Amino acid sequence: MLSTLIWFPIAGALAIGFLPSLPVQRTKLLALVVSGITLVWALWVTAQFDFTNPALQFQENLPWLDALGLDYQLGIDGLSLPLLVLGNFLTWIAIYSSSETTDRPRLFYPLVLFASGAVTGAFLAQNLLLFFLFYEIELVPFYLLISVWGGEKRSYAAIKFLLYTALSGALILIAFLGLVWLTGATHFGYDTLVGQTLPMGTQIILLGLLLVGFGIKIPLVPLHTWLPDTYVAASTPVAMLLGGVLAKLGTYGIFRFGLGLFPEAWANLAPALATWGTVSVLYGAIVAIAQKDIKRMVAYSSIGHMGYVLLGGAAMTSLSLVGSVSQMVAHGLILALLFHLVGVVETKVGTRELDVLNGLMNPIRGLPLISALLVLGSMASAGIPGLVGFVAEFLIFQGSYAVFPLQTLLCVVGTGLTAVYFVILLNRTCFGKLDNAIAYFPKVEWRDRVPALILMALIVFLGVQPNWLVHWSESTATHLIAAISTAGDPLVATTAVPPQSPPTISH
Amino acid sequence: MVAQFLAQSFWLVPIYPLIGVSFSLLWSPGMIRRTGPRPAGYVNLLMTFFSLLHGLIAFPAVWQQPANYIEIPWLQVAGLDLTLSLEISALTVGATTLITGLNFLAQIYAIGYLEMDWGWSRFFSLLALFEAGMCALVICNSLFFSYILLEILTLGTYLLIGFWLNQSLVVTGARDAFLTKRVGDLFLLMGVLALYPLAGTWNFNELAAWAATAEVSPTVMTLIGLALIAGPMGKCAQFPLHLWLDEAMEGPIPSTILRNSVVVAVGAWVLVKLEPVLALSSVLLNVIIAVGAATAIGGTLISIAQIDVKRSLSYLVSAYMGLIFIAVGTQQLEAALLLILTHAVSQGLLIMGTGSIILNNITQDLTQLGGLWGRRPISGLSYLVGLAGLIALPPLGGFWALLKLADGVWVSHPWVVAILLLVNTLAAFSTVREFGLIFAGSPKQMTVRSPENFWLITLPMTVLVGVNLHLPLILQSLSLLPSWATLNKDMALLLFWSSVAGCSIGAIVYVGQSIPKPIQLPWKKIQEFFAYDLYTPNLYRSSIVFSIDWLSRLTDWFDRYIVDGVVNLVGVAFLVGGETLKYGNSGQGQFYVLTIALGLAAMTIWMSWSFITHLF
Repeated sequence: MLSTLIWFPIAGALAIGFLPSLPVQRTKLLALVVSGITLVWALWVTAQFDFTNPALQFQENLPWLDALGLDYQLGIDGLSLPLLVLGNFLTWIAIYSSSETTDRPRLFYPLVLFASGAVTGAFLAQNLLLFFLFYEIELVPFYLLISVWGGEKRSYAAIKFLLYTALSGALILIAFLGLVWLTGATHFGYDTLVGQTLPMGTQIILLGLLLVGFGIKIPLVPLHTWLPDTYVAASTPVAMLLGGVLAKLGTYGIFRFGLGLFPEAWANLAPALATWGTVSVLYGAIVAIAQKDIKRMVAYSSIGHMGYVLLGGAAMTSLSLVGSVSQMVAHGLILALLFHLVGVVETKVGTRELDVLNGLMNPIRGLPLISALLVLGSMASAGIPGLVGFVAEFLIFQGSYAVFPLQTLLCVVGTGLTAVYFVILLNRTCFGKLDNAIAYFPKVEWRDRVPALILMALIVFLGVQPNWLVHWSESTATHLIAAISTAGDPLVATTAVPPQSPPTISH
Repeated sequence: MVAQFLAQSFWLVPIYPLIGVSFSLLWSPGMIRRTGPRPAGYVNLLMTFFSLLHGLIAFPAVWQQPANYIEIPWLQVAGLDLTLSLEISALTVGATTLITGLNFLAQIYAIGYLEMDWGWSRFFSLLALFEAGMCALVICNSLFFSYILLEILTLGTYLLIGFWLNQSLVVTGARDAFLTKRVGDLFLLMGVLALYPLAGTWNFNELAAWAATAEVSPTVMTLIGLALIAGPMGKCAQFPLHLWLDEAMEGPIPSTILRNSVVVAVGAWVLVKLEPVLALSSVLLNVIIAVGAATAIGGTLISIAQIDVKRSLSYLVSAYMGLIFIAVGTQQLEAALLLILTHAVSQGLLIMGTGSIILNNITQDLTQLGGLWGRRPISGLSYLVGLAGLIALPPLGGFWALLKLADGVWVSHPWVVAILLLVNTLAAFSTVREFGLIFAGSPKQMTVRSPENFWLITLPMTVLVGVNLHLPLILQSLSLLPSWATLNKDMALLLFWSSVAGCSIGAIVYVGQSIPKPIQLPWKKIQEFFAYDLYTPNLYRSSIVFSIDWLSRLTDWFDRYIVDGVVNLVGVAFLVGGETLKYGNSGQGQFYVLTIALGLAAMTIWMSWSFITHLF
């Protein structure tokens, strides 16, 4: 059941790659179908998923290399399910939004599908080595996607991305190997390693390796400098995948392997982690204010928004953890939307420079719909209520406030700074006077509108009706926190007093 | 029966305008081109009419009844229960009626005012968004959802002020309004977050019950309270967050009618609702009084120094909101609510009257206007009624509201009465000054030809004149006026004479023609100090804006050259290392192939080891 999610897109990728050459549209259609079927399969898995059960579901276990302790173990729970669906959904959206004139389509679409399959594999793997394999394999297609189809400075960006993430992989591998050897285990299965009882010092060192390793992927300041270059150099669909899906591997990894395997060390480091997250939030937002390139601005906004996830994780209340998982999904949707819109603006207007763009809201000559969506997308990112970003951030804030009040309040300041740079972005791009002399933009196609409309609909829907978002991860998060607090850790704060429901006088 | 039913389904009131929004999207540019954008306006007008009607019919069913609460579950997750609680009472129904009524008139006015505009769909959707947001806010019984609605209104303000988006002043005005309000909102969010662990609820009525018995440290409550009042301060354009309202005057006049009358008052409404919590700290109450008093006095003084029709009125809005802050700070909640009502109807009328002048005289510069009384009697009379309704001039609304406040604070805070009298005098002077500059004297170049506008402008204006004139009767029928026996006659006389003083000095200086205009004070510095809004824009530019700009540039530099610089340095070091190492390679192809083949073979054997061992 779960294997299909990994191997179907990869099989599709091989098929597209080795089938006789088709026109670009056909190749794209084929890729869409493959990714669509995978998405439907993921949704079907979701429909079968028992949301009240915190344990791993649909487990698959095939012995592979006993000598290495590497088995083909898959499973899914409330932490990975939302990310899995998000990843497959964004892959579909990214393929849909890709240009009809993509060069070498028989390589491009297979690579996207291959990357999607590998990332899915990483989300599903319940064996540390298997996770590592998927985590590394996914680098290859992404490296090629950046270096072949990227913009200017693509080879620099691609190499930087590759080196950074390879280092990330190496650190993670060291941590995994260290964990297995030091505990004396012979197997890399996640279930055999949970509940290890290493000395605290060792735990902290191993956790530190993991944090830096995954911190590169998220990325956390100061491990982030690959991100702006890479996101800016990548083409729009690839940027959507990088920001929407790949970055989530980092936060997922931190929660699954950092918090999951080293809860006590995590609790010890929690104040530092919360501060680290806060620094990321503020740093990303402040640097974003100074950017002159809208894509770069969005890239820095991504750094800021991932910091909230770490804060929520560090607070270790079930509410903040649910908030963090929701924030991963919300951020994925919003970032994909923003990258898509920025991409449309770039292709139509021909520039990403803030100082050149102006007045795109103009209803006749400008890009009114794209501008309107850009306004909403930016506001979603800035955490305006009614849109999905607010719900996630609010849950994190509410869940973390009791534990880390100062860091939480500083993160609230961070959302204020987010509003600052998005207002700069909107005032320069959408508002202002459009120069009629240059305003002969190419027509906006449905291909440009549909992905944005779908993403926007989801952002609004989940913002108004967040139950659909938060309940995916609720039981897993509660269980994870309960497992830690039974260890008797003083840092685990309870959530706030549940409110008594007021008397209903009406009717 | 119908009234009962409508009272129970009162949650529909904020839904009507949203239906209007979804319809008007159809007439946005690019969707339906053949009809033009006008149907968007008509649909929204109709929807507002429904909300108004709903409120009017439902009112008898809730009058003198205990409040009904409707609970709508929104989100239950991990121990946090967010249930939207709606309060249906005479107060909330009355407040929605005020909002929908004013929006109804403003929309008729807009149909006339924006006749030649292409952005109807956007404009009317935003007005409807405001109506929906404000109606939801007044019936909402939860601080958390109030915060949500205030934030959505902040976004609405940004878009509505930015309506004429190709003018640069509009764009900066929209930006400043959004950021100022957002700062207030985020402080409010901090207060919201911090209050929950203490009180365990966000519902206003439960918060009040909690506050009645709560034992919390006054320091903590002061800090939380300061965060909580920042939101209303931003919304109500109080010092030092008042700058945006002035810049918001770049927006279209029909939206100003709504903004200056009721939108700014949503902050005051939340403040009134929060009063029991705020009262836990006496320091905080004094802060609220101080903020209100500073804004009330400062606002009226700045208003007198303005030469822009709309800006002069906008500072009066800040000033009156300041009076409401004083009322909340002195715990005179009924006076605060009454003041919200009387200010809304009179301020709306003042804007309508001056807007009617601005529309066909093409200027809003007071120095270019004059001599319009003979040509524009209806606008002039409307302005006068609005003026009389705003200040404490019996028997109109403003008098009763200010009397209630003055009467209430006389025992506890006698010096507040002095502030009230001063502000009332200054406000009277300021409004009469504006009247004199527009209507008195001889016509100038811009005012030679100036007929009354057509009915779409004049009708809503005259209707609002009627509302203003009848407001005392309405108040009396709702038993909101004191009886003759309980009337504090000394206070009434004081207020009356302060208004008369302000009006007469204003009239002597500005309606009489003996003093040459423009008036120059002997102290030029002071005049400029008020004319330029106490130099607040410069202050902000040189402090907050400057420091954030500087910080962001510095961090960006740090990011580019230090953080990324180290990375690139490491990269370069490896490149140099690689360049050196490559000389160790033989360059013979066979050697590479051999290495690869051996490695592959070793790996294959090892990976299939278990399989091989099974063979033997």
